[in-house]
Amino acid sequence: MNKNHHINNQAELERLIERYFDGDTSVQEEQMLREALADCPWSSEVIDEARFTMGYFAAHSHEKARTAGKNHRRQFIGIAASIAIVIAAGGYALWHQQQSTGVCIAYVNGMVVQDDDKVMTLIANDLSMMDNAADAMTDQLSSLGAALELDNE
Amino acid sequence: MKRTTIIILACMLTTMAAMAQTGLNINHLFDGRYKKAAGATEIIVTGSQAHEIGLTIYHSISVTEKAQAEIIENLVVKDGAKAIDKEVEYRNGQLYYGFYTLPKYKRSNRYIFFLNQNLARKSPKNVVTLIYMEGEAGAERIKKLIRK
Repeated sequence: MNKNHHINNQAELERLIERYFDGDTSVQEEQMLREALADCPWSSEVIDEARFTMGYFAAHSHEKARTAGKNHRRQFIGIAASIAIVIAAGGYALWHQQQSTGVCIAYVNGMVVQDDDKVMTLIANDLSMMDNAADAMTDQLSSLGAALELDNE
Repeated sequence: MKRTTIIILACMLTTMAAMAQTGLNINHLFDGRYKKAAGATEIIVTGSQAHEIGLTIYHSISVTEKAQAEIIENLVVKDGAKAIDKEVEYRNGQLYYGFYTLPKYKRSNRYIFFLNQNLARKSPKNVVTLIYMEGEAGAERIKKLIRK
């Protein structure tokens, strides 16, 4: 059949439908048949059955596409959830490791000290110096208080 | 993908621990400049060791370079202005000792200690010390800690 051929009447359409169900149509003719069924105003038992059958296939294809879309969405959500779980688990593991082991390091004159005991001794020295300074302040206040009391006697 | 994510998270957490004093002026001093400096000591303790003394972070620096004393003092005083409680002592117009309780950060108490031993009356030393502490420990516990 000619590529640019159009179905001009109902009889021609019904013949094409019969050939379609007999499996004698070309791809071009099937395409032309689909267009004719979608656009033409004619109606008969053969045409309506063909409309129903081909429409059913179209609807079925659409349903399949929708199902495929849903499946893709589910797959995407699954992948996203897996990534989120991996990130959360990795973050928690690192946080937990850092909380339990942490960092204990000192740099003295450009040298790295990683021995926990030595670092803690350095901290004790720092705090001891602070203590002495705080004591000096308390002593000063005590001296002031004593001087004032003496002056008031 | 997993490896990249974990590496990124590790970097983020390490940075978070090191930069916990974010938002403070003294943060500029903890940028690593004293780690390789002669006459300087920098201490960083987090995790279980810090937890033993009621802290989550202990970060300190001690420097012997006189020029650094003024820089450190200025930054400490700026942060000290935001303190909710403070004990300070000035000598000859310079900060000698400071104990500042800062506003809480994410439910953690934060403290700054400063000591300029150049200004000590008894056996002065050419050392300026700055300590930043963060954790659940209250001010009284911190004071007890330094009196151990």
